[in-house]
Amino acid sequence: AAMSFEWPWQYRFPPFFTLQPNVDTRQKQMTAWCSLVLSYCRLNKQYIMTVMEAQESPLFNNRKLQRKLPMESIQVVLEELRKKGNLEWLDKNKSSFLIMWRRPEEWGKLIYQWVSKNGLTNSVFTLYELSNGDDTENEEFHGLEESMLLRALQALQQEHRAEIITLDDGRGVKFF
Amino acid sequence: MGNLFGRKRRSRVTEQDKAVLQLKQQRDKLKQYRKRITLNLERERDVARQLLRDGKKEKAKSLLKKKRYQEQLLDKTENQISNLERMVQDIEFTQIEMKVIEGLKIGNECLNKMHEVMSVEEVERIIDETQDAVEYQRQIDEMLAGSFTEEDEDAILEELNAITQEQLELPEVPTEPLPEKIPEASPVKIRAKPELVAAS
Repeated sequence: AAMSFEWPWQYRFPPFFTLQPNVDTRQKQMTAWCSLVLSYCRLNKQYIMTVMEAQESPLFNNRKLQRKLPMESIQVVLEELRKKGNLEWLDKNKSSFLIMWRRPEEWGKLIYQWVSKNGLTNSVFTLYELSNGDDTENEEFHGLEESMLLRALQALQQEHRAEIITLDDGRGVKFF
Repeated sequence: MGNLFGRKRRSRVTEQDKAVLQLKQQRDKLKQYRKRITLNLERERDVARQLLRDGKKEKAKSLLKKKRYQEQLLDKTENQISNLERMVQDIEFTQIEMKVIEGLKIGNECLNKMHEVMSVEEVERIIDETQDAVEYQRQIDEMLAGSFTEEDEDAILEELNAITQEQLELPEVPTEPLPEKIPEASPVKIRAKPELVAAS
């Protein structure tokens, strides 16, 4: 899948892999890196990543160019993404993260569109059903990773368009 | 923190919703089980093929027996999934029926309340009162009418005639004096008639 991905011109530019000292240049560099991370993860439908994984992935390691973005710089990029609301740390040690190439509110909107289009308000669903059910096979949110799905539903809950239900062995949701 | 806010608001999730959700969870588990068995079956098909190629007929046969048993389990699982889904649909439909009954009940209560305000006796009473009022008015009109004198009555009648004449709108009377011959004309007419009569 990485093959069909269109790398931006910066990816073939060695200085891109070194944190730039000049403030303006660094700003542009960060923007380009954030954008690259989001497009890469979006194409590969990747929702969760560990920092270790990230380091070795083609994303930060351009083998052809023989350039790697160093760990400290990767952390800077990740922090940028977190500030923009596209990343959430999944543990205190900051070893793995949820990469939200689509914000929870946007996922929520897509899910709610499917709900209202199919006349499913006032019905309950298990989370599994939403992400893996036959009825959602053609939807963009099919295969959505559970923690991302949960955040999307929480966003809808804030808007009072859904209520998350917690049972003994799993979660569900009711749409309104 | 999301939960804290969640608890403050009243939940819009009913007991039936929770029951439906549990049924769906069971169904999900069965679906995952079905996936597992299906994968197993595919794998075992390949293994059996390989065993036959290697000439291990007995082993292949026992593997196929196992596979057959799993296929039966798969059928049973499918049935259970159908059962659960049917039950979910039944409960969902019952919830709708309940809403219809609730709606009918509220509508009925409303109608009854309105009938209380407008009972049959009440309506009769209002109609009677209205008739009394109309009668009363008529008497008053009569009394007022009686206050006209004979003179007033005549004047009123004269005016009425005048208006009636106006409405007939006769053509304007010619101002030239009538010709003298006309009185002669009439006797001719009169004489003509008897002749006519004789002829017939």
